[in-house]
Amino acid sequence: MENKSVFIFEAGQIGNYLLGTAIQDPEKNTYAEAMQKLNIQFSDYEQMLWSSMMKGKRRMAFIDAALALKDPNNNTRRKIFTMLAILEASPNYTSYFLSRKFSIFYLLKIIVVGIRAVARVVVGMVIVKNIKRKCS
Amino acid sequence: MQLTHDYIIVGSGATGAIAAHSLIEAGVNVAMLDVGIEDEQYKEIIPNKDFISIRKEEKQQHEYFLGKQFEGIPWEMSKVGSQLTPPRNFLTRFAEKYIPFESDSFKPMESIAKGGLGGGWGLGCYVFSKPELEAIGLKESEMMKAYEAVAANIGISGAKDDGSPYCLRDLQNVMPVSELEQNLNGVFSAYDKQKNSLNSKGVFLGRSALALLTKEKDGRSAVQYKDMDFWSDKDRSSYRSWMTIDQLKGRPNFSYHKNCLVLKFVEHNAGIDVIVKRTDTNEEQIFTCKKLILAPGVLGTARIVIRSFDHKKDQLPVICNPYCYIPTLQWRMLGKEIEQNKTSLGQLVLYLDEKKDNFDVGMAALFSYRSLLLFKLIKETPLNFADARIIMQYLQSSFTIAGIHHPEKGSSTKFIRMMKNANTFTGDILTGQYILSDQEIKTNELRERKIRAALRKLGCQPLKTVHTPHGGSIHYAGTLPFNSYGEEFTLYPNGKLAGTKNVFVADGSGFNYLPAKGLTFTLMANAYNVAKNALKNE
Ligand SMILES: Cc1cc2nc3c(=O)[nH]c(=O)nc-3n(C[C@H](O)[C@H](O)[C@H](O)COP(=O)(O)OP(=O)(O)OC[C@H]3O[C@@H](n4cnc5c(N)ncnc54)[C@H](O)[C@@H]3O)c2cc1C
Repeated sequence: MENKSVFIFEAGQIGNYLLGTAIQDPEKNTYAEAMQKLNIQFSDYEQMLWSSMMKGKRRMAFIDAALALKDPNNNTRRKIFTMLAILEASPNYTSYFLSRKFSIFYLLKIIVVGIRAVARVVVGMVIVKNIKRKCS
Repeated sequence: MQLTHDYIIVGSGATGAIAAHSLIEAGVNVAMLDVGIEDEQYKEIIPNKDFISIRKEEKQQHEYFLGKQFEGIPWEMSKVGSQLTPPRNFLTRFAEKYIPFESDSFKPMESIAKGGLGGGWGLGCYVFSKPELEAIGLKESEMMKAYEAVAANIGISGAKDDGSPYCLRDLQNVMPVSELEQNLNGVFSAYDKQKNSLNSKGVFLGRSALALLTKEKDGRSAVQYKDMDFWSDKDRSSYRSWMTIDQLKGRPNFSYHKNCLVLKFVEHNAGIDVIVKRTDTNEEQIFTCKKLILAPGVLGTARIVIRSFDHKKDQLPVICNPYCYIPTLQWRMLGKEIEQNKTSLGQLVLYLDEKKDNFDVGMAALFSYRSLLLFKLIKETPLNFADARIIMQYLQSSFTIAGIHHPEKGSSTKFIRMMKNANTFTGDILTGQYILSDQEIKTNELRERKIRAALRKLGCQPLKTVHTPHGGSIHYAGTLPFNSYGEEFTLYPNGKLAGTKNVFVADGSGFNYLPAKGLTFTLMANAYNVAKNALKNE
């Protein structure tokens, strides 16, 4: 069983990747509790992916994007998904999840985000391929 | 220990509850045997507030939205019941242990909870048409009275519109319809404009009849539009079978026995022995009665009957509606804020009745998406989670989901089979096979195509069609088909089990056909009649 401080660190990294903001302690603690209960196990390959993701939010975004397309049930994504659920179920971050009246210009943002998401897949594929090669 | 009762009812689900209510009203003595799992974790901790207020204010909301063991964060949806929210998870708890089922092609959801599957049903009520009732093996004249009696008991709201011939028909005991939420209101307005062209293709849209109170009744309040319908029953406006059980518990001629897993019955001259294996002590116990009414759900009844007839037959037919759902984008709702007060229930239903004879009608219940939380939708996209969140937050208000049920009848490739298995609690296990013929698959695909076309006309762009494994519709029937010849493993039309003197079946075991429309209101009406029939030769 990994110790709590590792999970707290992971929670900060994932939260920052998901919402682009520093995450508060209660959500980090909830993530640690979830990890202890869910006990998600990594293969060697997943462990290498995870170590790479922990280097920063951009790397996490690239790898997550590639996996979302090619290997959506990868356990590294399960950790990110768990944090996403925890953030949604917290009053501190509801504004990131609840519907609201968006201005028409917001549609432009959505288009930019869509393009970025595709670009992230391309870069992510290269990183994931590299890690796979190193692993085998 | 020996206990003697006039009537024993097995099961506290929708059918057992209604049968018990009829018998108690008639003044006879009734004991109900049930496993009776209850929610002990969540009921008390969910605040009596609306969804948005909870989301904005409650620090501990993750305990019930995600579950105390984080079981509400589904990763692989392979487990039966994984689509239920944590506070509804108790519905399927321990089913694997006490009533195991194994199959590659059939994944039914079963419950041993107090109130059965009715603790989480979607409340959709349908009065079946005459041809549908005939195909099932039920008499319209008897059923219409029973529908009225059940509606008066549980409380049903609905409207007279193009959908009425398919759900309310001429039902009198109906409360005013609930307020329609914005998302579905968009679809309803579009229907008004496209009505003639849609009707000519056999497509009709109407407000759902729901077992939802819009006026106070028997201490239950009218719907409060808190959008917590999938999480809690605080206002008791939704009918749940356990409410009837709680109400009956106050009556002197009713006793409720939990932790009682009924294995089988033995009928003899003096009465009927009901053999129970207790789930709290693992001990066997015998209850005796004059008349027995089985209502443990279609598969539960099959288990008990096969054992009671000494496995003379191990294989029985089964029917289950094929089901799929289609997430669609309703453009007119893009980027809008979802209103605070609404319900999450399927308030609109689309019917496909090409022959216009109210038989073999296809059905799609329409839902919006919010209270099941955004993260589950985000997971369905092929995008990285961070970008998907931004996009889905924008699209959220425009999602309209169509849940499609197909009408269904039995065939030789759809069956259940009981096998001995020394490793299980009961020493046996139910297995099964559910395979549709190529022709059935083609017919269903064609129906889905037509429904997708109708949705497009209504301004809802289908994104994909998701087929759930057989069993996913949670509508089961047909294991002991109705007939009048008295063959073993069939039911007489009055609900009596052939080969017995005083054993009746109140659930859907006898139904020879399943319309696409939800069966539960008809199950309850039939249970009402079966109880009356059991009383007849008192
Ligand atoms: C999420 C969901 C949504 C649904 N939506 C709709 C809808 O909108 N419209 C609709 O028509 N239907 C709907 N349904 C289906 C509906 O819930 C069922 O058709 C109905 O509840 C079946 O009732 P029943 O009494 O036959 O059996 P069950 O509900 O299965 O009840 C069986 C009872 O028997 C007991 N039992 C089982 N075995 C034994 C045993 N051996 N000994 C003692 N007790 C036993 C159990 O404890 C339970 O109390 C839905 C179901 C679900 C889960």
